[in-house]
Amino acid sequence: MLSRNIRLLSRRYSQAVTFRTTESSPTQQNENQVGLFYTMNNDVCKQLFAHGGLPKSFMKQTKTFTETALMVRLPALDIIDCIKVTDLNKPVVRYVLYGEKGAGKSLTLAHLLHFAHEDGFLIVHIPWVSDWLRRLPRDKEMSNSQSREGFVDIPLDAAAWLLHFKMQNQVLLKTGDLKTSKEYVWSKRESTPAGAPLAELVEHGIARVKYACDVIDVLLKEIKLLSNAKKCKTFVAIDGFNSFFYPLTRLSTPTKKKVAPEEVSLTAPFMEITKNDWTNGAIVVTTDQLAVPEDRQENYLPKYLLYQKGFEHLDPFVPMEIGRYTEREFLSCASYYRDRLWLRGPPELESELKLASACNPYNFMELCAPL
Amino acid sequence: MNSIRYKLSGVTCSVLQAANFRPAYIQCRLYSGPTSFPDFFKNPIFRKEEQAKLIEINELSKLAISPVKPPGVSETSSVYYDPLVNKLINHVMKMGKKQLARELVEKAFENVKRIQIERYHLASSAEAKAKIILNPKDILHQAIENCRPLLQLLPIKRGGIVYQVPAPITEKRSLFLAIKWLLDATNDKERTIHFPQQFAWELLDAANNTGKVVKRKQDLHRQCEANRAYAHYRWQ
Amino acid sequence: MKMYLNSSKMLLLTRIALKHAFPKTGLSSYFTKKSTFRIQNVYMYSSKASSSTENVYNNFTDWETLSRKKKVSKAMKAYLERAKEHDEFMKRQQFEFNIGKRHLANMMGEDPETFTQKDVDRAIEYLFPSGIYDPAARPLMKPPEEVFPARKAAEFDEAGRPHHFLFYTGKPNFFKLLYDAAENIQLLHKYEDKVIRKKETPDPNASLDLNASVWLTKDQLEQMLVEAINDLEYDNFKLVMDRLVSLPYSYRCKEFIEKYRKTLSTQRFALEIPKPSYDENGCAFVTTYECLRKKARGDVTIKCPGSGKITINGQDLTYFEDTQSREQVIFPLIFTGMENKVDVVANIEGGGPSGQSGAIRWGIAWGLRSFVDKSMLEAMQVAGLLTRDHRRRERKKPGQPGARKKPTWKKR
Repeated sequence: MLSRNIRLLSRRYSQAVTFRTTESSPTQQNENQVGLFYTMNNDVCKQLFAHGGLPKSFMKQTKTFTETALMVRLPALDIIDCIKVTDLNKPVVRYVLYGEKGAGKSLTLAHLLHFAHEDGFLIVHIPWVSDWLRRLPRDKEMSNSQSREGFVDIPLDAAAWLLHFKMQNQVLLKTGDLKTSKEYVWSKRESTPAGAPLAELVEHGIARVKYACDVIDVLLKEIKLLSNAKKCKTFVAIDGFNSFFYPLTRLSTPTKKKVAPEEVSLTAPFMEITKNDWTNGAIVVTTDQLAVPEDRQENYLPKYLLYQKGFEHLDPFVPMEIGRYTEREFLSCASYYRDRLWLRGPPELESELKLASACNPYNFMELCAPL
Repeated sequence: MNSIRYKLSGVTCSVLQAANFRPAYIQCRLYSGPTSFPDFFKNPIFRKEEQAKLIEINELSKLAISPVKPPGVSETSSVYYDPLVNKLINHVMKMGKKQLARELVEKAFENVKRIQIERYHLASSAEAKAKIILNPKDILHQAIENCRPLLQLLPIKRGGIVYQVPAPITEKRSLFLAIKWLLDATNDKERTIHFPQQFAWELLDAANNTGKVVKRKQDLHRQCEANRAYAHYRWQ
Repeated sequence: MKMYLNSSKMLLLTRIALKHAFPKTGLSSYFTKKSTFRIQNVYMYSSKASSSTENVYNNFTDWETLSRKKKVSKAMKAYLERAKEHDEFMKRQQFEFNIGKRHLANMMGEDPETFTQKDVDRAIEYLFPSGIYDPAARPLMKPPEEVFPARKAAEFDEAGRPHHFLFYTGKPNFFKLLYDAAENIQLLHKYEDKVIRKKETPDPNASLDLNASVWLTKDQLEQMLVEAINDLEYDNFKLVMDRLVSLPYSYRCKEFIEKYRKTLSTQRFALEIPKPSYDENGCAFVTTYECLRKKARGDVTIKCPGSGKITINGQDLTYFEDTQSREQVIFPLIFTGMENKVDVVANIEGGGPSGQSGAIRWGIAWGLRSFVDKSMLEAMQVAGLLTRDHRRRERKKPGQPGARKKPTWKKR
């Protein structure tokens, strides 16, 4: 990976490029590299983000630029430092990333996921909560939950998530010492014995879509126990967490009654795991304006987006604001786009674009698109 | 002109001058009738290149004395403004929805860029790479150039029959026809494909001298050539 | 006078009798030889009275025309009556106006002798305050020449023969003007031919500079010519004058052209450039109030030693979500190159994104005048950034679906 970068660089530009860094491991990155782009390994990308995780527009960019490059930014570095320094015997610390639309929250989360993966954490990652709760009803398949009364199940999404979990944690599931603590009976003929590896549980959930939601429930409980028992350290990353607390979802029961998020069986396990009653891990959560419908999108602060219930649930947490590009970051991003042939034109463009996009990363990307 | 007047000094030269009469300081009106601003307001010149030209001739101070109309809502002096793109957006616009039209055209340019960058990366040799145009605006200019008709067919009625007579075409009209044909071809798309995607394909085809629009222009030229015999009907 | 009349009548009768007896030529010579009686101030039927004797003899008409009952034509009679009435009317109005002016001066406690028209206007405004919007509809007191439209003097003489050679066009003054212009064009062509024969070139310095002036408007032209003019005719007039001006030697007809040109009030944008005031930190700032565009109203403050921050209604440039409005706001800053040197604070309300961004654009350009040098100021003027955009939405008319759209045209 490194050598390919160097080859490309020497082929295209002989002058020193100031927007790239060759340090591609998040554990080694420090403040010298703020504003510089590092390229992620393609295999790692596929492993971590096969079923989501990176925003769709960014996926298109990766295809055009033929590489996945993330910018190292201060909020991510701060959180990485915090996680490195935390005492893992204490209860988990919760970090909440917040910012305007398009400030870079999802990409920061991706950066942190990369770090977690390198550091050997067990990753529990929901790429985008609103996918489950707010997608159009005609694309969804729902059923009434069996193990819980009056709850709604989303089996296909649950199965997809289990696949995602499996891909992300391939290494750990194979080599790690992760075993269930008790026996689970699914039906007359199916059961998972105690002491079975977690991988088996996951396989079962994927194979038997009907029980996928319950599998997830069980899985997360097990993970909590295992973290407490210091068998593995867990990294929980949830994008669009405030969607769990919005009063309505787009789902409705066959009787046409609107369902609240609390009645969806998938919310419960993730509520459990985001409580701070376990140790040996870290929780990072983002609150996004886009996770709720447009008439509730007045403010981007967590207090507004999480509503009272979510705030109480998450309290206390460490808030982290993801701001817009600074001067240096902006220039570095502009030169990266020029290098990738995405932005062409005279140099005066940059000052104009800086003003017009007001240094918002997403706006900048959109403005550069037709140029 | 002067030599002619020398020979025919008796004849009033106003007749000879009548064809191309245009005093230097009369501006070309954008609209034929009166507009909100009175006649003596001049059209604005806000592009940096055009202003530079004026500064060379030292005309700037003279023009600054007369009142000038303000530039329109979608015109800026920034580097990435192109009057042709503006015109295109206006043609795409329906029911006054400028923002939507602009978004569609910008997405189309983005698609063009992505396709071209992909081709660039796939191209092996340096010459092939150099031939690929990566700027979507250049592709648009090239496409429009390739789609412009050089003649048009006018229906002229002689002796009860309407003949299609080839006739010259002004630049403005040929530009209009080129844009209209491009948009017609794009709107003939399938339901599932979005406008920007189809438009990007049409632009790339036209820039490459292939595709539906260029074919339409070539058909028109062929018809003009075929109807050459009727050309004199314009003056009968 | 009467005595003369009788004697002259007698003379005429005798002369006429003699005329028939003798041939004409002989008669006149006969009479010039024997011109003993002097005829002075003979009151002839023609108004062209002249005192020289030869003219008098030449103006004698023959018996038939004289004996015909001299009737003034109805048109002439009516015209004379009207002219007399109008003259009397105007005299009366002038008299009343003068008296009224003196009364007004007394009322206001000023000296009637030195009471100018301006004082009259002020007095009327004070005594009759009016809230009407249009100034022409408010109470006014002006000399009668201004109030009542001018009329033409006698256009034809008593015999009905018109004075002007183009009288029968109906608009003699206007067509005389076109005739003059055409004649000037011919002259200039001839001059140009002469110059070409001498193989000289036109003098570039002696050309007309018409940038700061404009042709008279239709109303002004009508007032000048005391005639009503069509739109078509007015366009024709402009065309002819433009052709005249476009010739290379048009400076030779300068006075003729200047008569029909009106100078514009020049360089309003450069006249009152406000001086920046200084706030507590020593930053210079300029506020432009009344930034209008369509229905948007607001004010813009520009601070000079700044860093390119833009604040609109407390929010960043993200106040405008669409790129077009943002580009419009940035336009003057990029044009002058001052995007990193000034801070902009704007408060705006009313209208939509297009109107608001247009108003802010004008406000920024107007405020930047104080911080920019002269050449850039001229560049801004030529770019049109400093023009107030007074266009408003055109109203919908009854009987039509929209402002200009008409219902479907049916041929029959």
